[in-house]
Amino acid sequence: MLNDADTKLLAFAQALELSIRDVYATLVERGTKTGDELAILELMHSHHVAYQQSLNGVLGKKAATTRNDEVFTKTVAALSDPSQTWPVLLDLENTAVATHSAIVERIESPKAASLIASVVMIEARHAAIISTLISTNLGQALDNPAQALVAP
Amino acid sequence: MSRISRRELLHLSATSLASGLVLAACGKQAGVQDDGAIARLGEAPSTTVLVEAEINDVVLLRTASSLEYNAIDTYTAAIGLGVFKGDLAGATEIAKRFRQDHQNHADAVNGLVRALGGKEYLCANTRINDLYITPALALITDEKNPNIGIDVVALAHAVENLAAQTYQGMVELIADPKLRADAIRIGQQESRHAALLAQVLNPGLAAVGPTFDATTGKPKIAAIPAAFGPQTNIQLTVGAPKDDGSRTTLLLETPSLNSLIYEGVSCSA
Repeated sequence: MLNDADTKLLAFAQALELSIRDVYATLVERGTKTGDELAILELMHSHHVAYQQSLNGVLGKKAATTRNDEVFTKTVAALSDPSQTWPVLLDLENTAVATHSAIVERIESPKAASLIASVVMIEARHAAIISTLISTNLGQALDNPAQALVAP
Repeated sequence: MSRISRRELLHLSATSLASGLVLAACGKQAGVQDDGAIARLGEAPSTTVLVEAEINDVVLLRTASSLEYNAIDTYTAAIGLGVFKGDLAGATEIAKRFRQDHQNHADAVNGLVRALGGKEYLCANTRINDLYITPALALITDEKNPNIGIDVVALAHAVENLAAQTYQGMVELIADPKLRADAIRIGQQESRHAALLAQVLNPGLAAVGPTFDATTGKPKIAAIPAAFGPQTNIQLTVGAPKDDGSRTTLLLETPSLNSLIYEGVSCSA
């Protein structure tokens, strides 16, 4: 049974995942990427669908019903320049890693923390692979300069 | 309802009483002098009671530190072999960077251990070494192995996955939420290491997600193997091909009760 504080934190995480899911869906629909690059977008989209669904399952009736619109609007605006697709997605994945890690720091339920941890581990891989599509800079793939979004 | 009759009950009581008397006669009685008349074979050795080993945040973090040293030693061995040539020429710089990351992780984790009042652990996990890394290196450096360079990368990939899974698994076990976050912040970088090494082993964007060997049907190494961080054993296939063409596969598992670095365990770095 989740306490109120944990419920709010997980709902915040879910709203962020809904935003990221929608960002990837928007990119796939635009059709600016094809072939293997499109397949990468679809793969990552499917993962974020799974994250929001798993959080939805944990939260039940208290699940988030709307995405984090601030994140979605800001990210889609940044994606208006197709050449910035990968840098914007790298920042988005890194932000998710930082935000979820900050949520783990505050969440009391070990099981909920474990779920978020399993998400962070793959979002970090997303970021590393996206980074290789931008440059061969090893530090860019391994270090996370993103700031965590502040959960309520 | 019992079906034992009164007669049977009396018989059982008498038998129990008789047995008790025999046993009492065999045992050492207080105040009775042992004159050695009854032969006795052997002497039960005295036993040392093991210290109660508690699994707490210090133990978990010390274990994490030990794995960091496993990784540091693996990269040191990999660089020392001098096999990163040709297509793998760039791997030396990657190995150096990853080794430094693991040193930073070990320093950070041991800082947390000290803050908790524990004693830092500055050595590799012996059991992980004995079970996985030493046997793997023996297979890899076999003179008949034609793929030493790529097998070294495969070992590093397995060790990175092991470290990542260990940190992820610890999140549920660590009591202090702040330490859980510290663990996952380190673990996510191990995950990035693993993703990049996977691309060396199975390159190209088409190999980022799960793919399967067309001949064997077995899953190939993937940079992003699943939607959620796995907690399964890690397959490492290395070494010279056997007569049937197959190679040895080691199954790596995250530290368990017999490989945790308990507070009483010490090492000399």
